[in-house]
Amino acid sequence: MLNFLKYTTAAAAGLAMMSSTVLANPYEPYEGTTLVVNFPAHPHYNAVMRVLPEFTKETGIRVEVDQLQYLKMRERQTLELTKDEGDYDLIAYVVFSKADYVFADQLENLARYFMNPKLSDPKYDADDLIDGYVQNIGVAGGTKGYLPGKTGSLYGIPFGSETSVLAYRKDIFEKHGIAVPETYDQLLDAACKIPEVEPGVGGMASRAASGHQASHAFLLHLAPLGGRVFDGEWNPIINNEAGVAAANALKTIVDCGPEGAQTFGPAEAAAAFSQGQAAMFMDSIAFAAGFEDPSKSKVAGKVGYALHPEGVRRGSQTGGFGIAIPQNAQNKEAAFLLMQWLTSKKGDLMVAMAGGNPSRFSTYEDAGLNEKYPYSATFGEALKYADPDWRPIIPTWGKINADIGTSMSKVLTEGLDPQEALDGVAERARAIMDEAGYYTWN
Amino acid sequence: MQMANVNRLTPYMFLAPAVVILVIALLYPIGYMIYASFLDWNPSQRIGEAEFVGLRNYINLLGDESFRESLSVTLKFAGIVVFLEMLVGVGLALLLDRNIRGMSALRTLFILPMMIAPIVVGLMWRYMYHPTVGIFNRTLKSLGFEPVPWLSDGSWAFTSVIIADVWQWTPFIFILSLAALQSLPQSALEASRIDGATGWQQIWHIKLPLMMPVLIVTCLLRLIDAFKVLEVVLVLTNGGPGLSTEILSLRISRTASEFRELGEAAAMSNYLLIVLLLLTLAMFFYNKVSEMRTARLRAAAEGDD
Repeated sequence: MLNFLKYTTAAAAGLAMMSSTVLANPYEPYEGTTLVVNFPAHPHYNAVMRVLPEFTKETGIRVEVDQLQYLKMRERQTLELTKDEGDYDLIAYVVFSKADYVFADQLENLARYFMNPKLSDPKYDADDLIDGYVQNIGVAGGTKGYLPGKTGSLYGIPFGSETSVLAYRKDIFEKHGIAVPETYDQLLDAACKIPEVEPGVGGMASRAASGHQASHAFLLHLAPLGGRVFDGEWNPIINNEAGVAAANALKTIVDCGPEGAQTFGPAEAAAAFSQGQAAMFMDSIAFAAGFEDPSKSKVAGKVGYALHPEGVRRGSQTGGFGIAIPQNAQNKEAAFLLMQWLTSKKGDLMVAMAGGNPSRFSTYEDAGLNEKYPYSATFGEALKYADPDWRPIIPTWGKINADIGTSMSKVLTEGLDPQEALDGVAERARAIMDEAGYYTWN
Repeated sequence: MQMANVNRLTPYMFLAPAVVILVIALLYPIGYMIYASFLDWNPSQRIGEAEFVGLRNYINLLGDESFRESLSVTLKFAGIVVFLEMLVGVGLALLLDRNIRGMSALRTLFILPMMIAPIVVGLMWRYMYHPTVGIFNRTLKSLGFEPVPWLSDGSWAFTSVIIADVWQWTPFIFILSLAALQSLPQSALEASRIDGATGWQQIWHIKLPLMMPVLIVTCLLRLIDAFKVLEVVLVLTNGGPGLSTEILSLRISRTASEFRELGEAAAMSNYLLIVLLLLTLAMFFYNKVSEMRTARLRAAAEGDD
């Protein structure tokens, strides 16, 4: 009996060894699996779509992609994640969904996958992932709950993450001898000088549409000008001097911007810049590839890129997407393999070469990438100043964000006084936070 | 005895399938919504995990400035839109109620806007309203006028949304009033003509009063629809600038998806439902009254004989 057991164990071990030495294919057990993933319609994920066939060829795992508009994605995911058995094996989530999903315990903690020797690639090199992104998008449970810290852990990996840079028209700046803005004062001066010296061209194209877009544009200026939405004890400080300065900056930019700027969403703003109706565009790095594409852009080759100008401090946005495995996914292990493959050094570089946003420092330093996209070095530099706390990632944020957005829209279109608008926001934010229990310990 | 019972039950048995479908398809969702409006329910929770908060959502909403503004925008929008549509629709019907060659083709043309999907209508108008490349501003500019901030100024945006809605829904009123006009008793019209009534007098004293029952129903149907308009506004302005075009249905959808407060969204829907219910009751009541009136008139006429 004992002999028999010995024999079978040895045989099994031998078999196992054989399979690992002969084939050495960690993907083999999952060959033929079909993963259903949910990605947004976004330049980065369009690049991913071009790279995915490579993954299927290499691993035999098929991937079915459900692409949705990025603001609609969250609604769909919320429905999917509350089901007993979800349809999605891997989701890309907008950064501000992190709070909701993690709080509702709907995302897999990634520790158990990185601990699993059969799944985790020892050459993955997680240290190479961009810190600001991982902190902002991947980790929850540390400082203030939504930031990393000693009590935090990893729920997602940044993929398609973004920071902000200033894109400007080299030809126009040179023609009129305007220096590339390094501070906010210079930025605002240039924004209003351009329409004077170059009729028909607005200073800077910015998001401004009522709601999320106006709020995003305001927060973009709030962090570098030294402001925050809340202090360390969740008291709203959005209406302090820095807040008013940010609102005024946004108003100046929109007033000196191209025609119709008051209702621009990101797509319209980017279109205005790429059609030559604005001389500057300060938003996510994700738009750069579109500006350099001559079939879509009239300004290809004329665009320079600079760091997000400095106000009181340097602070560019962090945002975009991360990828995570839902707790109710049906093929979690294969999903992890896809996740790891996409964010590996090789995968990240492939996606970047196809026009995506790198998640790794090494990708930004890659010579081939810099040759194809000369702005990569500037973007890598900008990431050093990426501010993971430029907006709070808390479950009540949706409501406060919308309120900031409508109030800002009123400032931009109806001439509401910025101080008055922000006082109103602060007062309502306090009530929302109170109701949600943020002052329980005060 | 047994037989009599079965006989008495027969009608109910025939009704049963309809009742079952009604309960499942209509009452269950409404009951679900009413129940949800008493909950503090986040979409990440299942309904069972949500906390019961009684009337808190309803009370909070009454104190919520944005909700009140959105309600007033909705009332204003529905009122103006339905008034304009009635005016233009009935006017067109009166003008076109005659034998013109190719009338049926013309009629089809007139009701085309109504048949276009609302999202497409929104997109179409949005491009026409575009500040630089839109047809309106380009025409204005080429004629030497100042361009108009169609969608980027609060009151203009509200006007723009109204124009788009009037364009889309006037045909609905037109087609119904035309049908009503064509089924008017010719004898009354002939009699008035013999008595020497002018065209205006005919319209004012004969056509409009006789059309009234149809017009009232049409008007109420449009009102109910106008309260629920969503897609066109969503695409055109998404509620902005500020809250100037944030109609109630848009606010409900944002509360559910953006603010993630399903309970509050349900309470808002119930407020809307109450308003609509009042309108429907008014319609019902009007029908009853006018029926009674005709019955009385007929009785009086028969008495005269």
